[in-house]
Amino acid sequence: MASTEESQDNNPRGIPKAPFISDVEKYIGGPDGDVESAMKKIQDALAKYRYMDGNLAQRRRGLEEKIPDIRKTLSMVEFLNERREGKQKSDDLEENLDDLDLEDETADKKPLVTTFELNETLYAEAELEDTDVVYLWLGANVMLSYNITEAMELLATKLKNAEASLQSLQEDLEFLREQITVMEVNTARLYNWDVVRRRERRAKEASASTG
Amino acid sequence: MAADTQQQIRVTDLDVPQLADVRRQLDEELTHLTNSFTQLKQAQAKFRSCIDNAAEVKPGNKDTTILVPLTNSLYVPGKLSDLENVIVDVGTGYYVKKSRAQATKYYQSKVDYLQSNLETLQETILKKQEDLTFVTNVLQSKIQAQSQGSTRNAKDR
Repeated sequence: MASTEESQDNNPRGIPKAPFISDVEKYIGGPDGDVESAMKKIQDALAKYRYMDGNLAQRRRGLEEKIPDIRKTLSMVEFLNERREGKQKSDDLEENLDDLDLEDETADKKPLVTTFELNETLYAEAELEDTDVVYLWLGANVMLSYNITEAMELLATKLKNAEASLQSLQEDLEFLREQITVMEVNTARLYNWDVVRRRERRAKEASASTG
Repeated sequence: MAADTQQQIRVTDLDVPQLADVRRQLDEELTHLTNSFTQLKQAQAKFRSCIDNAAEVKPGNKDTTILVPLTNSLYVPGKLSDLENVIVDVGTGYYVKKSRAQATKYYQSKVDYLQSNLETLQETILKKQEDLTFVTNVLQSKIQAQSQGSTRNAKDR
Protein backbone atom coordinates (compact mmCIF):
# COMPACT_ATOMS: atom_id res chain seq x y z
CA MET A 1 0.00 0.00 0.00
CA ALA A 2 2.69 2.44 0.93
CA SER A 3 4.94 3.63 -1.82
CA THR A 4 8.18 3.80 0.07
CA GLU A 5 11.84 3.37 -0.58
CA GLU A 6 13.03 0.31 1.27
CA SER A 7 16.65 -0.25 0.49
CA GLN A 8 17.49 -1.61 3.93
CA ASP A 9 14.89 -2.07 6.62
CA ASN A 10 17.16 -2.17 9.63
CA ASN A 11 20.60 -0.85 10.26
CA PRO A 12 23.18 -3.27 11.76
CA ARG A 13 22.02 -2.76 15.32
CA GLY A 14 18.32 -3.14 14.72
CA ILE A 15 17.20 0.46 14.37
CA PRO A 16 14.37 0.42 11.79
CA LYS A 17 14.82 2.64 8.81
CA ALA A 18 12.26 5.41 8.41
CA PRO A 19 10.15 5.01 5.26
CA PHE A 20 10.01 8.09 3.09
CA ILE A 21 6.49 8.78 1.89
CA SER A 22 6.90 9.86 -1.73
CA ASP A 23 3.20 9.59 -2.55
CA VAL A 24 1.05 10.72 0.33
CA GLU A 25 -2.24 9.72 -1.27
CA LYS A 26 -1.14 6.16 -1.80
CA TYR A 27 0.28 6.00 1.74
CA ILE A 28 -3.03 6.77 3.42
CA GLY A 29 -5.08 4.81 0.87
CA GLY A 30 -6.82 7.03 -1.61
CA PRO A 31 -8.09 10.64 -1.68
CA ASP A 32 -10.43 10.03 1.22
CA GLY A 33 -7.95 8.29 3.42
CA ASP A 34 -7.57 8.96 7.11
CA VAL A 35 -4.86 11.50 7.84
CA GLU A 36 -5.19 11.37 11.62
CA SER A 37 -4.11 7.79 12.11
CA ALA A 38 -1.23 8.16 9.65
CA MET A 39 -0.12 11.30 11.43
CA LYS A 40 -0.28 9.52 14.76
CA LYS A 41 1.82 6.62 13.48
CA ILE A 42 4.46 9.02 12.25
CA GLN A 43 4.47 10.95 15.52
CA ASP A 44 4.86 7.73 17.49
CA ALA A 45 7.80 6.62 15.38
CA LEU A 46 9.32 10.07 15.72
CA ALA A 47 8.99 9.97 19.51
CA LYS A 48 10.68 6.57 19.59
CA TYR A 49 13.56 7.82 17.44
CA ARG A 50 14.00 10.86 19.66
CA TYR A 51 14.04 8.70 22.79
CA MET A 52 16.69 6.44 21.30
CA ASP A 53 18.67 9.50 20.32
CA GLY A 54 18.65 10.75 23.90
CA ASN A 55 19.69 7.35 25.22
CA LEU A 56 22.58 6.95 22.82
CA ALA A 57 23.76 10.50 23.44
CA GLN A 58 23.89 9.74 27.14
CA ARG A 59 25.84 6.52 26.60
CA ARG A 60 28.24 8.32 24.34
CA ARG A 61 28.92 10.98 26.99
CA GLY A 62 29.64 8.26 29.54
CA LEU A 63 32.07 6.54 27.21
CA GLU A 64 33.79 9.78 26.32
CA GLU A 65 34.50 10.27 30.00
CA LYS A 66 35.73 6.75 30.61
CA ILE A 67 38.06 6.42 27.65
CA PRO A 68 40.66 9.04 28.71
CA ASP A 69 40.65 7.45 32.18
CA ILE A 70 41.42 4.02 30.77
CA ARG A 71 44.19 5.51 28.61
CA LYS A 72 45.76 7.22 31.62
CA THR A 73 45.62 4.05 33.70
CA LEU A 74 47.13 2.03 30.89
CA SER A 75 50.01 4.45 30.41
CA MET A 76 50.66 4.43 34.19
CA VAL A 77 50.85 0.66 34.22
CA GLU A 78 53.19 0.73 31.24
CA PHE A 79 55.37 3.25 33.05
CA LEU A 80 55.51 1.06 36.16
CA ASN A 81 56.39 -1.87 34.00
CA GLU A 82 59.22 0.00 32.30
CA ARG A 83 60.58 1.07 35.64
CA ARG A 84 60.50 -2.45 36.88
CA GLU A 85 62.19 -3.76 33.77
CA GLY A 86 64.76 -0.99 34.04
CA LYS A 87 65.52 -2.04 37.61
CA GLN A 88 65.74 -5.67 36.67
CA LYS A 89 68.14 -4.87 33.89
CA SER A 90 70.30 -2.85 36.23
CA ASP A 91 70.18 -5.77 38.68
CA ASP A 92 71.53 -8.03 35.94
CA LEU A 93 74.12 -5.44 35.07
CA GLU A 94 75.25 -5.34 38.67
CA GLU A 95 75.98 -9.03 38.56
CA ASN A 96 78.07 -8.61 35.43
CA LEU A 97 79.91 -5.41 36.33
CA ASP A 98 81.29 -6.42 39.68
CA ASP A 99 83.86 -3.78 40.28
CA LEU A 100 82.56 -0.94 38.25
CA ASP A 101 81.33 2.08 40.10
CA LEU A 102 78.67 3.23 37.78
CA GLU A 103 76.55 5.34 40.02
CA ASP A 104 73.67 5.61 37.64
CA GLU A 105 73.28 1.91 37.33
CA THR A 106 73.82 0.80 40.89
CA ALA A 107 70.50 -0.60 41.72
CA ASP A 108 69.85 1.31 44.90
CA LYS A 109 66.29 0.30 44.41
CA LYS A 110 65.41 3.98 44.11
CA PRO A 111 61.87 3.96 45.32
CA LEU A 112 59.38 6.09 43.51
CA VAL A 113 58.11 8.94 45.62
CA THR A 114 54.79 10.31 44.58
CA THR A 115 52.15 12.68 45.81
CA PHE A 116 48.70 11.18 45.82
CA GLU A 117 45.24 12.43 46.54
CA LEU A 118 43.84 11.80 50.01
CA ASN A 119 40.88 14.06 49.50
CA GLU A 120 39.77 16.74 47.14
CA THR A 121 42.14 19.47 48.32
CA LEU A 122 44.49 17.28 50.31
CA TYR A 123 47.53 15.43 49.04
CA ALA A 124 50.22 13.41 50.78
CA GLU A 125 53.55 11.89 49.90
CA ALA A 126 54.15 8.19 49.67
CA GLU A 127 56.82 5.79 48.55
CA LEU A 128 55.80 3.15 46.04
CA GLU A 129 56.99 -0.31 46.83
CA ASP A 130 58.63 -2.49 44.27
CA THR A 131 55.92 -4.84 43.28
CA ASP A 132 54.65 -7.03 40.51
CA VAL A 133 51.12 -6.53 41.50
CA VAL A 134 48.79 -3.63 40.79
CA TYR A 135 45.23 -3.20 41.89
CA LEU A 136 42.55 -2.21 39.45
CA TRP A 137 39.25 -0.67 40.47
CA LEU A 138 36.64 -2.28 38.24
CA GLY A 139 33.67 -0.34 39.57
CA ALA A 140 30.69 -1.58 41.56
CA ASN A 141 32.81 -1.80 44.69
CA VAL A 142 35.05 -4.38 43.10
CA MET A 143 38.83 -4.16 43.10
CA LEU A 144 41.11 -6.91 41.89
CA SER A 145 44.84 -7.39 42.03
CA TYR A 146 46.60 -8.17 38.81
CA ASN A 147 50.05 -8.98 37.61
CA ILE A 148 51.49 -6.03 35.77
CA THR A 149 51.37 -7.81 32.42
CA GLU A 150 47.83 -9.06 33.03
CA ALA A 151 46.80 -5.55 34.01
CA MET A 152 48.20 -4.16 30.78
CA GLU A 153 46.32 -6.74 28.75
CA LEU A 154 43.08 -6.13 30.60
CA LEU A 155 43.34 -2.38 30.19
CA ALA A 156 44.24 -2.68 26.52
CA THR A 157 41.17 -4.86 25.91
CA LYS A 158 38.95 -2.46 27.85
CA LEU A 159 40.24 0.45 25.85
CA LYS A 160 39.71 -1.33 22.54
CA ASN A 161 36.15 -2.31 23.47
CA ALA A 162 35.31 1.16 24.67
CA GLU A 163 36.62 2.73 21.49
CA ALA A 164 34.71 0.23 19.34
CA SER A 165 31.47 0.94 21.25
CA LEU A 166 32.04 4.66 20.86
CA GLN A 167 32.50 4.20 17.14
CA SER A 168 29.31 2.20 16.71
CA LEU A 169 27.40 4.63 18.94
CA GLN A 170 28.57 7.46 16.72
CA GLU A 171 27.31 5.64 13.62
CA ASP A 172 23.99 4.89 15.28
CA LEU A 173 23.54 8.50 16.28
CA GLU A 174 24.15 9.69 12.74
CA PHE A 175 21.75 7.12 11.36
CA LEU A 176 19.11 8.20 13.87
CA ARG A 177 19.59 11.84 12.91
CA GLU A 178 18.81 10.96 9.29
CA GLN A 179 15.73 8.97 10.23
CA ILE A 180 14.43 11.73 12.46
CA THR A 181 14.78 14.21 9.60
CA VAL A 182 12.99 11.84 7.22
CA MET A 183 10.12 11.46 9.66
CA GLU A 184 9.85 15.19 10.20
CA VAL A 185 9.71 15.71 6.45
CA ASN A 186 6.98 13.06 6.27
CA THR A 187 4.95 14.88 8.92
CA ALA A 188 5.28 18.13 7.03
CA ARG A 189 4.27 16.57 3.71
CA LEU A 190 1.32 14.74 5.20
CA TYR A 191 0.12 17.89 6.89
CA ASN A 192 0.49 20.02 3.76
CA TRP A 193 -1.26 17.42 1.64
CA ASP A 194 -4.12 17.42 4.12
CA VAL A 195 -4.35 21.22 4.03
CA VAL A 196 -4.52 21.17 0.23
CA ARG A 197 -7.17 18.47 0.31
CA ARG A 198 -9.34 20.38 2.78
CA ARG A 199 -9.09 23.50 0.66
CA GLU A 200 -10.14 21.54 -2.44
CA ARG A 201 -13.05 19.99 -0.59
CA ARG A 202 -14.24 23.35 0.66
CA ALA A 203 -13.97 24.78 -2.87
CA LYS A 204 -15.94 21.81 -4.22
CA GLU A 205 -18.67 22.21 -1.61
CA ALA A 206 -18.81 25.94 -2.22
CA SER A 207 -19.21 25.47 -5.97
CA ALA A 208 -21.69 22.60 -5.43
CA SER A 209 -23.89 24.76 -3.17
CA THR A 210 -23.83 27.74 -5.53
CA GLY A 211 -24.23 25.57 -8.65
CA MET B 1 8.29 47.12 61.12
CA ALA B 2 8.01 50.19 58.87
CA ALA B 3 9.17 48.00 56.02
CA ASP B 4 6.47 45.48 56.83
CA THR B 5 3.68 48.05 56.83
CA GLN B 6 5.03 49.43 53.56
CA GLN B 7 4.94 45.96 52.14
CA GLN B 8 1.48 45.44 53.52
CA ILE B 9 0.13 48.44 51.67
CA ARG B 10 1.84 47.35 48.48
CA VAL B 11 0.81 43.74 48.63
CA THR B 12 -2.82 44.26 49.51
CA ASP B 13 -3.07 46.72 46.64
CA LEU B 14 -2.13 44.05 44.15
CA ASP B 15 -4.81 42.01 42.49
CA VAL B 16 -4.87 38.25 42.24
CA PRO B 17 -2.69 37.51 39.17
CA GLN B 18 -0.05 39.93 40.35
CA LEU B 19 -0.09 38.39 43.80
CA ALA B 20 0.32 34.97 42.24
CA ASP B 21 3.34 36.32 40.35
CA VAL B 22 4.92 37.73 43.48
CA ARG B 23 4.32 34.46 45.25
CA ARG B 24 5.91 32.48 42.45
CA GLN B 25 8.93 34.76 42.46
CA LEU B 26 9.38 34.38 46.20
CA ASP B 27 9.10 30.64 45.80
CA GLU B 28 11.86 30.57 43.20
CA GLU B 29 14.13 32.69 45.35
CA LEU B 30 13.49 30.40 48.28
CA THR B 31 14.38 27.31 46.23
CA HIS B 32 17.54 28.97 45.01
CA LEU B 33 18.59 29.97 48.52
CA THR B 34 17.88 26.49 49.87
CA ASN B 35 20.03 24.99 47.12
CA SER B 36 22.89 27.31 48.00
CA PHE B 37 22.48 26.32 51.61
CA THR B 38 22.76 22.63 50.73
CA GLN B 39 25.85 23.25 48.63
CA LEU B 40 27.56 25.15 51.42
CA LYS B 41 26.73 22.35 53.81
CA GLN B 42 28.27 19.82 51.46
CA ALA B 43 31.42 21.90 51.05
CA GLN B 44 31.69 22.16 54.80
CA ALA B 45 31.37 18.39 55.18
CA LYS B 46 34.16 17.92 52.64
CA PHE B 47 36.49 20.20 54.57
CA ARG B 48 35.65 18.35 57.79
CA SER B 49 36.60 15.08 56.15
CA CYS B 50 39.86 16.69 54.99
CA ILE B 51 40.67 17.35 58.64
CA ASP B 52 40.11 13.69 59.42
CA ASN B 53 42.20 12.59 56.46
CA ALA B 54 45.06 14.85 57.46
CA ALA B 55 44.93 13.28 60.89
CA GLU B 56 45.50 9.86 59.33
CA VAL B 57 48.92 10.87 58.07
CA LYS B 58 50.38 10.31 61.51
CA PRO B 59 53.71 8.85 62.67
CA GLY B 60 51.84 5.81 63.95
CA ASN B 61 51.27 4.79 60.36
CA LYS B 62 54.88 4.97 59.31
CA ASP B 63 55.39 1.47 58.03
CA THR B 64 51.89 0.43 57.23
CA THR B 65 51.37 -0.49 53.63
CA ILE B 66 48.81 1.63 51.93
CA LEU B 67 47.28 1.44 48.48
CA VAL B 68 48.34 4.53 46.62
CA PRO B 69 46.00 5.72 43.88
CA LEU B 70 47.88 6.53 40.71
CA THR B 71 44.82 7.18 38.61
CA ASN B 72 41.07 6.82 39.06
CA SER B 73 41.22 3.05 38.83
CA LEU B 74 44.86 2.13 39.47
CA TYR B 75 46.24 1.52 42.92
CA VAL B 76 49.74 0.46 43.85
CA PRO B 77 50.92 -0.71 47.25
CA GLY B 78 53.26 1.70 48.99
CA LYS B 79 54.19 3.33 52.27
CA LEU B 80 53.72 6.84 53.55
CA SER B 81 57.02 8.64 53.11
CA ASP B 82 56.35 12.07 54.56
CA LEU B 83 54.44 11.92 57.80
CA GLU B 84 54.82 15.46 58.98
CA ASN B 85 53.63 17.37 55.94
CA VAL B 86 50.70 17.31 53.61
CA ILE B 87 50.02 19.31 50.49
CA VAL B 88 46.97 21.51 50.46
CA ASP B 89 45.30 22.92 47.35
CA VAL B 90 44.68 26.53 48.31
CA GLY B 91 43.06 27.47 45.01
CA THR B 92 44.07 29.27 41.77
CA GLY B 93 46.58 26.53 41.01
CA TYR B 94 48.64 26.90 44.18
CA TYR B 95 49.57 23.88 46.24
CA VAL B 96 51.21 24.52 49.60
CA LYS B 97 53.12 22.02 51.66
CA LYS B 98 51.99 22.43 55.23
CA SER B 99 52.67 20.60 58.42
CA ARG B 100 49.82 18.51 59.69
CA ALA B 101 48.98 20.99 62.39
CA GLN B 102 48.94 23.88 59.93
CA ALA B 103 46.76 21.95 57.53
CA THR B 104 44.31 21.08 60.29
CA LYS B 105 44.17 24.76 61.27
CA TYR B 106 43.62 25.78 57.65
CA TYR B 107 40.71 23.39 57.15
CA GLN B 108 39.22 24.26 60.49
CA SER B 109 39.18 27.95 59.61
CA LYS B 110 37.52 27.05 56.31
CA VAL B 111 34.88 25.09 58.21
CA ASP B 112 34.26 27.99 60.59
CA TYR B 113 34.02 30.50 57.74
CA LEU B 114 31.44 28.33 56.01
CA GLN B 115 29.55 27.96 59.27
CA SER B 116 29.14 31.72 59.63
CA ASN B 117 27.97 31.94 56.00
CA LEU B 118 25.51 29.16 56.62
CA GLU B 119 24.06 30.96 59.60
CA THR B 120 23.54 34.21 57.67
CA LEU B 121 21.97 32.27 54.82
CA GLN B 122 19.69 30.49 57.26
CA GLU B 123 18.35 33.81 58.53
CA THR B 124 17.70 35.04 54.98
CA ILE B 125 15.85 31.84 54.20
CA LEU B 126 13.63 32.18 57.26
CA LYS B 127 12.77 35.75 56.36
CA LYS B 128 11.91 34.71 52.80
CA GLN B 129 9.71 31.93 54.12
CA GLU B 130 7.82 34.41 56.28
CA ASP B 131 7.31 36.71 53.31
CA LEU B 132 6.09 33.79 51.24
CA THR B 133 3.54 32.70 53.85
CA PHE B 134 2.36 36.28 54.20
CA VAL B 135 1.85 36.75 50.47
CA THR B 136 0.10 33.38 50.22
CA ASN B 137 -2.32 34.41 52.97
CA VAL B 138 -3.12 37.72 51.32
CA LEU B 139 -3.62 35.91 48.01
CA GLN B 140 -6.01 33.41 49.54
CA SER B 141 -8.04 36.06 51.34
CA LYS B 142 -8.26 38.06 48.10
CA ILE B 143 -9.48 35.03 46.16
CA GLN B 144 -12.06 34.34 48.84
CA ALA B 145 -13.19 37.94 48.85
CA GLN B 146 -13.46 37.89 45.08
CA SER B 147 -15.54 34.73 44.97
CA GLN B 148 -17.78 35.98 47.76
CA GLY B 149 -18.20 39.29 45.96
CA SER B 150 -19.15 37.57 42.70
CA THR B 151 -21.67 35.23 44.37
CA ARG B 152 -23.18 38.21 46.12
CA ASN B 153 -23.49 40.01 42.80
CA ALA B 154 -25.17 36.98 41.27
CA LYS B 155 -27.63 36.79 44.16
CA ASP B 156 -28.44 40.50 43.93
CA ARG B 157 -29.37 40.22 40.26
